[in-house]
Amino acid sequence: MTAPTMRAPTTPHPPAIEERGSDGYVRKVGRELLLAIYGALRTVKLYPPDNPVVQKTLDEIARIATDFLRRERELEVRVSGEFIFINATRLRLDLDNYASFSRIISVFREAGVGLCRVLESSAARDWIVFLSLLQSPPSGEPDDRARALAEKLAAAGITVFEIGPPSQVDDEDQEKAREAAKRTYAQSVTVTREVIASVRMGKSPNIKKIKRVVQGIVDQILNEDTSLLGLTTLRDYDEYTFTHSVNVCIFSVALGRKLGLTRLQLYDLGVGALMHDIGKARVPLDIINKAGGLTDDEWRTVCAHPWMGVLQLFQMRGQNEIPYRAMIVAFEHHKKTDLTGYPKHVRPREMSIYSKIVAVADSFDAATSRRSYQTTPLTPADVLQEMRVNPRRGMDQVVVKAFMSLVGHYPVGTLVVLDTFELALVHAPSPEPAAISRPMVRIISDDRGNVLFPGVLADLTERDPSGGFRRTIIKVADPDRYGIRVGDYFV
Amino acid sequence: MSVSLPTSTPIAAEASELPDAPVSPQLIEELLRHFARAIKTHQLYLPNNPIYQRAIENLRGAFAAIWPSIGEVVLQISESEFRWLGRSVLHEPSRADSLPWVFYKDGIRELTFMQGVEGEELVVLLDILQRVRKTSPEEDDLLTLLWEQEFAYLRYRFIDISMDTAAIPQASEAAAESRTIPLVEVRHEVEEEQQEADRPGFVRLEEMDGTLYFLDEQEIEYLRAEVHKEQSADLRRNVLAILLDIFEVQGTAAVRTEVVGIFEHLLLHLLAAADYAAVAYLLREAVAIRERLPDLSPEARERLARLPEGLSGPTVLPQLLQALDDAQTIPPQEDLDALFQQLLPSTLGTVLGWLKQAQNRELRTALERTAARMASVNTAELIRLIAAEDVTVALEAMRRAAELKTAAAVAPLAKVLASGPLEARQGAAQALTEIASPGAMRALEAALDDADRDVRVTAVRALGARGHRAALPKVEAVVTGKAVRDADLTEKMAYFEAYALLAGSTGIEQLDGLLNGRSMLLRRRIDPETRACAAMALGRIGSEAALAALRRASDDKDVRVRSAINRALRGGAA
Repeated sequence: MTAPTMRAPTTPHPPAIEERGSDGYVRKVGRELLLAIYGALRTVKLYPPDNPVVQKTLDEIARIATDFLRRERELEVRVSGEFIFINATRLRLDLDNYASFSRIISVFREAGVGLCRVLESSAARDWIVFLSLLQSPPSGEPDDRARALAEKLAAAGITVFEIGPPSQVDDEDQEKAREAAKRTYAQSVTVTREVIASVRMGKSPNIKKIKRVVQGIVDQILNEDTSLLGLTTLRDYDEYTFTHSVNVCIFSVALGRKLGLTRLQLYDLGVGALMHDIGKARVPLDIINKAGGLTDDEWRTVCAHPWMGVLQLFQMRGQNEIPYRAMIVAFEHHKKTDLTGYPKHVRPREMSIYSKIVAVADSFDAATSRRSYQTTPLTPADVLQEMRVNPRRGMDQVVVKAFMSLVGHYPVGTLVVLDTFELALVHAPSPEPAAISRPMVRIISDDRGNVLFPGVLADLTERDPSGGFRRTIIKVADPDRYGIRVGDYFV
Repeated sequence: MSVSLPTSTPIAAEASELPDAPVSPQLIEELLRHFARAIKTHQLYLPNNPIYQRAIENLRGAFAAIWPSIGEVVLQISESEFRWLGRSVLHEPSRADSLPWVFYKDGIRELTFMQGVEGEELVVLLDILQRVRKTSPEEDDLLTLLWEQEFAYLRYRFIDISMDTAAIPQASEAAAESRTIPLVEVRHEVEEEQQEADRPGFVRLEEMDGTLYFLDEQEIEYLRAEVHKEQSADLRRNVLAILLDIFEVQGTAAVRTEVVGIFEHLLLHLLAAADYAAVAYLLREAVAIRERLPDLSPEARERLARLPEGLSGPTVLPQLLQALDDAQTIPPQEDLDALFQQLLPSTLGTVLGWLKQAQNRELRTALERTAARMASVNTAELIRLIAAEDVTVALEAMRRAAELKTAAAVAPLAKVLASGPLEARQGAAQALTEIASPGAMRALEAALDDADRDVRVTAVRALGARGHRAALPKVEAVVTGKAVRDADLTEKMAYFEAYALLAGSTGIEQLDGLLNGRSMLLRRRIDPETRACAAMALGRIGSEAALAALRRASDDKDVRVRSAINRALRGGAA
């Protein structure tokens, strides 16, 4: 995908001051609010408005909303794609709240509502009117539906809500998120490089820094994953070992989030993913960097890296607890779901779900990257197709499916030709989950081939006045062929 | 997320320049004093201790005093100071035990307590601060520990000191260069592909079913089950299995040496984590591997063998047993059994010593089973322990030898019986009684001369019960001699009963003489207890001649003698 010697120039930066915990309260109470709304949506459908069960759930919503407003001074529920934001904080989806999130997103979407601000103290009556209207939406375009709902609220004398259609995150927030993602990515690559270099020099690296960078990646993925996923396109040939580990960590954590893992589970998964190839630090560099085919002996040495990784993880310093999960992931990430693959095992075992996740992320990043023994990487779309249809790959099909849902038909960084004959790089999956083949793209050359930098963002779900799509992908292309350095557009 | 904040401590402003404080700074100072005190008590006392509870209540009270006026307390942190609204509210110049330093050294520059922190999160925070004070620089710092808890009412700003060398990636200079991509080829290719796409059977990616990408209920359930399985999985056991597999499959000496080294290290971790099932698994597999791998180097073989040896060491095993006895919850019985099964026979003494010492009933039960198993397979060690200096161990060894009726134990038991300390002699007599072999009887016969009454009683009862007639002369000498007069009733009864059992009808004359005496004077010289015992012995013999002797004395003047005679005649002596 990228030029073989591409390396993004780097600039040093002073330590940044970061903040944590500011969104803890918002997440906790926001989640309570959504669960209360979900409960009310159900009871409102089952019982008349004056039923005590309905009243109780509505009172609960009003109480939570009022307390929240008093403390935070604003309360805004925003639905964007598959995410729900309370104020600027993205709420976390996990397997326990899957149903409630899904229901609320679908109700908001049906009603054409992307935004609901609670302006002042609300009462049970305000909420029952709002929720009832939300569940019987008018027809039309999202903007019209949201407007109609706002009008109905006003007609009912409800003034505590401000309703708006779906909207994008503002540029300033996006820029902030991008900067944070770049910092996290850079730190992660640096730490991974340090760790692998330490192992090669026979030293015992410290696990403390690894934990810290994984914490950063988890925070980033939970708050805004698009920027960090975009940086996985920085597939630097020279730094492959390090960037690959970081990319696998990013993909794994993002996939884990999609599968509903909790924050601490993502952390465990992230440490395992970042360290999955640590055993390669014990493989001689001349084998790792060898172009062309490997001899049988060399291949055997490469195939030893999963179990060597287990041994290496025992050498890490500063471990309060032995990273058992990371060891299991290191050992199993080249195993198939039927437990064939390598390395060989003797005792009965079952493959961990974390290993299955890392195996998918690892395969995807490896196959789409240029390496010493893979000069022509596959396109992301081809890799996804192969993982899905070829059972010999031995991937867990549910995990593969979730991964495809995460990255879309056209994963971030894919170069595409549009029907306008503009070239574009896939920037992010579409906020509309159903529009799987219409991602957000960055147009990087106009229809006459003039290269644009940094390019222009475009939403492929956008329609022209006639109702047709403004732009459609007609072809996937190879960036190398056009001298395009994908990473340049994501930093 | 990144925010702008001065990296240096704000310089103390003149008091007149400071903003008005919404509450008295003394209240914040008081709050921090209580905070510091609560951290110390959290370190020193258990949660149910009244001192600890009072410290927490005081801290909660200090928060309660300020919440009506302010919703949050934002503290700026320097090396030695907490500042609130520009005012110093806690100053601790010495780094030792300094609270500001605990935060500052790990990069935290601002701490905000929000209303609500005084609830459950307070204790979590105290716990983290206690942990971080004890950790070495190599271990998790405050930032990492705080991250692991998702606080809703605690906010902090920090500088990540360890991450200052990373460089932010930038776009290459060539990216912004003006250039044109020749699109002719692209158009041509698109046209070609379009024609191909029109052919039947060609699938366009866009036409793929979008629902393929969304998880259905069944798939979500599958994932939920997988995650649940992962969370409840025995990770240690899993990694142990991996290491054992590596050891077996990767046959090089270097790898095996490294893995054994890990086993040695891991064993201590597993013990510290009280994962005794995993310890047992490792030790069991280590034995199995030694048997399964004929090509194992002598060094690897020896180091594997040393794993259970290490656990069985004289300093290690008592610690393990102490830890088990101290544990609030004892491991499942099968785990204990599995663990103790791996102990070397040489640990029998330690295990025996703990049988009386252990406070925990379940532990004692498991140890009993272990002791029984070890004793049964290791007679030599058992016999050696009969002479142990630790009398508790020696007595347990004797008890085990008795249960097993170990003939080889007779000689050491006899030795102990002849010259051991009192408690050991008593145990030996008891053990010999249970073993009851001819050798044991001979040893007991010798014990009739023991200085201790209990030893003599045990011995004479055993000799009588087993019909060891060789002891009859000695028993008869006692029964008819003067020594018996000084004995207590129990010992007298034991001797007379044994005499009856050993002598049978041949003893009637002696017993009759003692009971009925030829003259009143003689009868008076024999104490009533002895005569009563003679009556009981005659009853035990039970022959017509013996009963006749009893009847002759049936109107004896002494009530104790009459009572004994009546019982004997009714068969009560039997």
